[in-house]
This record gives sequence, C-alpha cells and structure tokens, in this order.
Amino acid sequence: MVSLLRNQKVRNALLQVLYVGSIAAMVLAGIVIARRNLADQGITSGFDFLFKSTGWDVNFSLLPATANDPYWWYFLIGIINTLFLGSVGLILATIVGTIVGLARTSSNDLARLLGRTYVDIFRNIPLILQVFFWYAIITHLPTPRSAHEAWGFLLTSRGLYIPFPNVGSAAFAAATLAVIAAIVLPAWLGRTSRLAQPIGQRRTIQFAAAAAALACAAIILAIGRMPDTPLLDFPALQGLNLRGGLRIPPEFATLAIAIAIYGGSYIAEIVRGGFKAVGTGQVEAALSLGLSPWRVFTLVRLPLALRAMLPILANQYVWLMKATTMGIAVGFTDFFMIVALTINHSGQTLEAIGILMAGFLAINLSLAAVFNRINKAIALKGNQLRG
Amino acid sequence: MISTNSTGEPALRIENLDKYYGTFHALRGINLSVKRGEKIVVCGPSGSGKSTMIRCINRLEQHNGGRIEVLGTELNDDVGNIDEIRREVGMVFQHFNLFPHMTVLENCMISPMIVRKQPRAQAEATARLYLEKVRIPEQAMKYPSQLSGGQQQRVAIARALCMQPQIMLFDEPTSALDPEMVSEVLDVMVTLASEGMTMICVTHEMGFARRVADRMIFMDGGDIVEEASPDEFFTSSRNERTRQFLSQVLGH
Amino acid sequence: MEMVVVAPPAPGRLEDLRRRFFATPLQAVLSLACLAIMVFLVWKLLNWAVFSAVFTTSGGPEACQAAAGACWSVIAARWRIIFFGLYPYEEQWRSALACVAVVVMTVLSCIPAFWTGRRIALVWGAGTSLFYVLMKGGVLGLAHVGEEAWGGLALTLFIFVTTCLIGFPLAICLALLRRSELPWISRTTGLIIDGVRSLPLISILFTFAVVLPFALPQWLQGDKLYRVILGSALFFSAYQAEIVRGGMQGVATGQEEAAMALGMRYWQRVSRILLPQAMRNAMPATINQFVISFKETSLVVIVGFFEILASGNAAYGTGEWRFAYVEVYAFIAFIYFIFVFSLSRYGAFLERRMSVSER
Repeated sequence: MVSLLRNQKVRNALLQVLYVGSIAAMVLAGIVIARRNLADQGITSGFDFLFKSTGWDVNFSLLPATANDPYWWYFLIGIINTLFLGSVGLILATIVGTIVGLARTSSNDLARLLGRTYVDIFRNIPLILQVFFWYAIITHLPTPRSAHEAWGFLLTSRGLYIPFPNVGSAAFAAATLAVIAAIVLPAWLGRTSRLAQPIGQRRTIQFAAAAAALACAAIILAIGRMPDTPLLDFPALQGLNLRGGLRIPPEFATLAIAIAIYGGSYIAEIVRGGFKAVGTGQVEAALSLGLSPWRVFTLVRLPLALRAMLPILANQYVWLMKATTMGIAVGFTDFFMIVALTINHSGQTLEAIGILMAGFLAINLSLAAVFNRINKAIALKGNQLRG
Repeated sequence: MISTNSTGEPALRIENLDKYYGTFHALRGINLSVKRGEKIVVCGPSGSGKSTMIRCINRLEQHNGGRIEVLGTELNDDVGNIDEIRREVGMVFQHFNLFPHMTVLENCMISPMIVRKQPRAQAEATARLYLEKVRIPEQAMKYPSQLSGGQQQRVAIARALCMQPQIMLFDEPTSALDPEMVSEVLDVMVTLASEGMTMICVTHEMGFARRVADRMIFMDGGDIVEEASPDEFFTSSRNERTRQFLSQVLGH
Repeated sequence: MEMVVVAPPAPGRLEDLRRRFFATPLQAVLSLACLAIMVFLVWKLLNWAVFSAVFTTSGGPEACQAAAGACWSVIAARWRIIFFGLYPYEEQWRSALACVAVVVMTVLSCIPAFWTGRRIALVWGAGTSLFYVLMKGGVLGLAHVGEEAWGGLALTLFIFVTTCLIGFPLAICLALLRRSELPWISRTTGLIIDGVRSLPLISILFTFAVVLPFALPQWLQGDKLYRVILGSALFFSAYQAEIVRGGMQGVATGQEEAAMALGMRYWQRVSRILLPQAMRNAMPATINQFVISFKETSLVVIVGFFEILASGNAAYGTGEWRFAYVEVYAFIAFIYFIFVFSLSRYGAFLERRMSVSER
C-alpha cells in the first residue's frame, strides 16, 4: 500500500480522481440539497415554468410584453435588453474613448491635460456610484411641464424625449439595418477587393456602396412613414404629459450615460496604448516618404494602432456587456434583473441561475468569436512587426 | 568529500532506453554503463538525443522504455527513488539557470538547507568552500545578474557541488558563453575531473574532451553510434558519420 | 505619440508658448478650444464647490437649499452616517481606528521591505485581526457590536480586505492547479476560472447572498456578510489567478528544472523558486486588480449591505436633505478617488520602475 502511494503514476491518478471527484461531489450535494429545500417550499424543479405566464411587468422592452407572457419570452426580452443596452453603451463608450484617447496622444499639451484629467477622474470612481449619481440627476430633472428643451430634445424627470421618425417599428428596424450596412459594407468591400482594384477605384466603389445603403434607409423611412404625418415627430407638451417623439426612460439613459463615461475612460487608455505601440520608426519612415501628417495618421498610425488595440478592446467590450447588470441598481430590466425577478416570483432558483450562466456564457463566447474573426482578418501577414 | 573509490560497481547503467516525443523517436534503445569516477564526454550533431539522454538520468525527461539505474537505485515511477537520485546527481545547464532572486551564496545554500536539512552555518561553510573552489569567493553577496556569463556558470557548478553529489551531469555548459569565458569554466571542470568526480558531459569542446575523457560517445539520430577512447576516437574513427562530424567541429 | 523637440538655445518665453500651442492654425484652434473648456469647467466647478457653497450647518437645510452653490452642510451634518453607518454612536471611534488600521496596513504592504511571503502575511494577518477586534469588540473591555451594525467606510474596507485575504491565496492555488501537468486537474480548474470570469460580479454576489442558502446545509450557511465576501473573493481569485499564471509563465522553464535537478520537491520549488519570481513579474497587474476589486466592493450595495454607498444614499435620503444628493455623491466619489487614485498611481510607478530595472 505504502509503496503504491510512492508510485508517481498511482499518485497522479489518485490526485486527479480526488480533485475532480470532490468538486463534483460538492456541486452535486449542493443541487440535491437545494432541490430538497425547494421541494419543501412546494417548488417542483424542472423547466416547465418557462411556459407559465409571469404575472409581472417589465419596464423596458423592445419586444411587445404583457404580464401574460410566459417566462421564456421574458428571458428573451432580458437578453435583448442586455444586448441593446450593451451595444448602445459600447458605441457611445467607443466614441468617448476615441476622442479622449486621441486627446491624450495629441501633441498639444492642453489637450493632453484635458484628456488625462478626464481619465483620472472617471476611471477612479466606481461605476455603480456613477450610475447612482446620474440616476439621481436625471430623476431630479424638472417635470414634463417645465422641461429643459433644446433643438427639439426634451429633458425631464420622466426620461429624455427625442425627435423620432414617424414610421412603423418594422420599417425602422429595416432602416437601422440599412444604416449598419452603410458602415459595414465599405469596410467589407475594402477587404475583399483589396488586390483586385487600384486604390482610387476601390474608394469609388466603397463610397457608392455606402451611398446606396443610406439611400435605401431613406427610402424605407419614406415608404414606412405613417400616412399624413410629418417625417419627424417632435415631442411636445399636451396637457400634463408629453406626446410624440421617442421617450428614452431614465433608467436606460442613466445606464447608457454611465457606461459611456466610465467605459470611455478605459477605452481612452486602450486607444492611447495602441498609438504608443506604433513604433516611431514607422512614423518617421512615412514622414520621410513625404506623406502629409494627415495621411501618415490615416495610412500608418491608425491602422497599426487599431491592430494593437483590438485584442484588449475585445476584453473591454466583454466587460461592458457584463456591466449592463448594473441595471438592477436603478430598476432596468436587463437579463440579470429578469433572472432575479424570476427567482423572486417563481422560486425556480436553480433553473434561473442555470439560465443566467448559460446566457452570459453565450454572450461572452459569441463576442469572443466575433473579435477573433476580426482579429484574424486584419492581422498583419508575416512577422515584420515582431521583435 | 566526494567518494573516489573506483570499484567495479557502475555509477550508472542504462539499458535499452527509449524516449518518444509524441511520435518522434528521440532515443532508440540506448545502452550505456558508467563506472564510478569515470568521465564520459558525449558529442554529436544537434537533435541527436544527447541532451535528452542526460536529462533522462535525473528525470527531467521521463523515459518511455528500458531501464535506468543510478548508483544501484532504479529510476522508475517511485517518487522516493526519484528524490534520492536527484539528491545524488548534480546538473549544470547550458543557460546556467541560477535563481535570479537570490544572491550567489543563497543560490548555493538553498538546496542543502531545504533538501538535505543542513543547518544554515554548515550550508554556508560548504557554499563558501565551493565558491572558493570555482574561484569566485568574492562574489558571494552579489546577484546572478551582476555577474558575467562565465562567472554565472561557475556559480552554477558550485551550486550543484554544494549538494555533494556523486555524479555530475553537464549539458553543454559552455555553449551559451562568449568565447573568452569558455576556458575559465573548462578549467573548473578539469579540476573537478582530476579529483575523481564521475562526470557525464555533453559538449563540443574537443580539447577538453581529449584532456579529460575516459571514454567518448558519439550520438546521432537517437542512437549511440560510436563509443571509444579519446585517442581512438579522434585519430582512427571507423565510423563515417563520426569522421564527418569531427571534421565539421575541428575543421576550422 | 510624444515628439521630443530639441529646443534651440534660450528661446524667449513668448516664442516658446507660440511653438507649443500655436504652431499651426489647427493647433491654435485646438489650444484655444481646450483652454476655453478648461476655464469654463474650472470656473463652474469652483463657483459651485467653493465660492457659492455653504459650509456650515448653522442655517439648517433651508438656507442651504437656497444657496446657488454646493451645500456642504449635508456632509457636516451627516458625515458620521457616511463613515460609520449604523455603528453605535459612542463606539464610532473604534470604527475610525479600524479604518486607520487598514490604511496603515495598505501603506506598509506597498513598501518593498515587506515583500516576502511571510512579512506580507504577517502585516495583513495582524491588520485584519486588529480591524476585526476593534469592530466586533467583546474582548478587552470593548462592547460587542455585531456585523449587522457595521456600515459605511468601515464595512467597505472590511469587505475589500477580507476579499483580498481569502482571494489571494485562493488565486495562487487556482493558478498552480491550472498549470498542473495532470490534465484533469488543469482542465477542471480552467473550467472553474473561465466560468467565474464569464459571469458578472453582481450575479455571483446575488448567487452567494440569496441562492446559496438553499444549496447549503443549515450548519454551513453562516452570515450573509461572509457568504458575500466568499463570493467576491472567488471572483477576485479567478481574475488574480490568471495574473499569477501570467507571472509564472514569465519564469524561465530552466528555473524549475534547476530546482528539480537540485532535488527540491514540488512545494519547495513552488514556494522558494517559482512564486517569488512569478509574484514579482505579476506585481503591476496585481495592483491593478486590487484597484479594480476595491471599486467593485461598492457592488455589495445591491445585495443589501450598508456600505459607504448605501450609507450615502441614507445620508441624503431622509427628508430635509433630499436636495443635497450631488454633494453626498461627490463626497463619496472623493473618498473612493483618494483610495483608488493613490493605489493606481503607485502601481504605475512600480511598473515604470520595473521596466527601467529590466533594461
């Protein structure tokens, strides 16, 4: 027996069995105990509850939702809300981060100081505190009757009202897709026809594609417009309430602002790091070729910096998606809040936690997959930058 | 001190040693026996398996077939045997592998203290003795990064000796050194050899081999191609591959 | 990209200014725009926070609300609740002293002389015990104060410190397990680490606070506070484990081989050779992780703890100070800022120093 224990192979096998076995045993015991405890409370385990109606409401949904809808529909709404808030936050944070990051890498001392102050302040204050802060600000805005107004936008404690095209939701979705196509198409064309066309022609094709997609969007909006209404619907006071336009609920606005500002400060650092990673040699080489500073920026610094940033940026975006769970702090029904509410109302604890884990795993994995594709597509061929 | 009795009992016996990396057959049934106090020099082209072989001797690589017996103890899956053999077999690496976070003295003391459970004072005395022997007693309080390559390698030899091993393995100890530092390391190794240490050296330093080796081993393709005394090896090798290799090493 | 401009001998001050900020028309516009933004923001901020602000409680909330600037009286009136939560009034000096103990402990662990496993463990062990004794009492003539009465800054610090204290050793274990040669051990550990990392912290805190009691036998449940700390430590360790593993990957393989050849056993190799070098490699990233995790302690407010954010909400939430939310949040943000900023500056300093010493 003792000599067996001294055998390396036996030892290794034993260690592995013990380790995996004890973890599996712990998880299993947890599940068994939880099932018994839940059964004592009259909750039967299983996923049947997904098809029962919830009996409670969500306060934000891109899909039609009533309290009669089943749980699976609510989970779907939650995931879509999370993805929607995440995407909006991601886009806004990227814009903020790019501006601040560029300021931080600029040759102008004042711009650098401004950028640095921004990053130092907003990076060093917890996100949840910023969420609370903006929520307090927004909910303390004046009532609709005395709303702040600027260029057709209204700021009130009931949310932000913005002018919105008078179209059906299907037409709006189609138009949005067309706008996205207008951004993605030229980039895609730039890659596929890289070798086939000389640069000048490629530009023309790209512009044409973007213009065509934008025209499509305009036509869709024009056709989809509700009869006898102006193209843009401006919010306006009617009685005690605001009518028209699009209302962005305070919860959504709060989270989008907080994520944009906080995430922006992180992305600014990533942008700065990306530009720092571009060697001075590359820039000097380009300048010595007689390129103008602007062309050096667009043709050399930006493409190289982008490649350096992308992997880190991908991590940041995954983090941003997870930050949408702050929704529960202000009552925005993101995926996590739906899960929490489900546990509260139905008691299907284990199942709901399982769905939560699966949902976030799916979101993370698909984001990672997308970024791996992009990374591979734009990776420099060969190894001229290594070393 | 190091036992110098060259009795008939072998310090190392290797029988039919096989080693695979995946499907690559790195060692093909090697047989080798080394007597106590014997000095073996192993040479051969890169990728011939010479490093793999000596790394099997203290189980830095695990062999897949055959038998290794060190100082009468078989090297197998028995954890106790592995520990015992490693204590008695010292090794010097191509890249020194000194511990960068410890001073030279600590590098030499750590293993006797925690493996052999020697008291600190004794470990320090031993360490200083061997540092004297490799001729760098004055560097004891420095960190490895403050030393030259040759000095680092001599510290590495002292560190291995502090465990008072019965066999010393050298894995290309001078390959990573600047040319002017090679001789200071070889001098230490020659001294060591003259004191009767059992040594197995993988090296391309043919001058050293001629002076020190009791036996030359030439490896190629995972096999021992030739085994001969230095005289025979350098002057009248019968093997075509050996002659080719020698002409490349000695050619310029 | 910072261009280094070699200055010609003794340029005039005006000339220097011109070159730095008005070299081209575009630069000039940019400089002026930045200057305008800065002047505007600084003026607005100073005006609000200092010139038009009310600092004393003498006028009461009404006078304060009427003022155009900040109403710092709310802090003067409610600072005790922000710092100490619901801790008994006469005993609040203990809570303050406990916070000081944590700060001293943090400062000590930033000094290189304390960077050996034993010393750091000693500092943190002593600091945390001191904190716990001061807060909880029940010995040395200190009155007993249960965890449910802890709050404010002290609770935030307690959660942070215990998270690190549990999470750090756990992270090292996870990192070692993940790089184990035994495939099932490394795979299982990898699954655990990646699983935890893919989940948002809030969901883990929620699970540990609300769901775990269902899955644990009665005798194992413990206080909700400690369950949440465990959850946050698990989350911390999953991230820190990858940092430690990165540090280990930076240690040359030859180190491990040399240690093996010298006859050292696994634990001897790990504790004497691998970890000291790996931790040094991982130092900047580790401090960064501490910074992140300090900010994230604030999330426990969501599972219902009275830490500094919640006590801030309470400070302005009641009746008369309702209007002063900006001031309270600004104050709490300032407290966080001091802690986080100094820690992250220290991390940046360390990173610079290490990259210099590598050259």
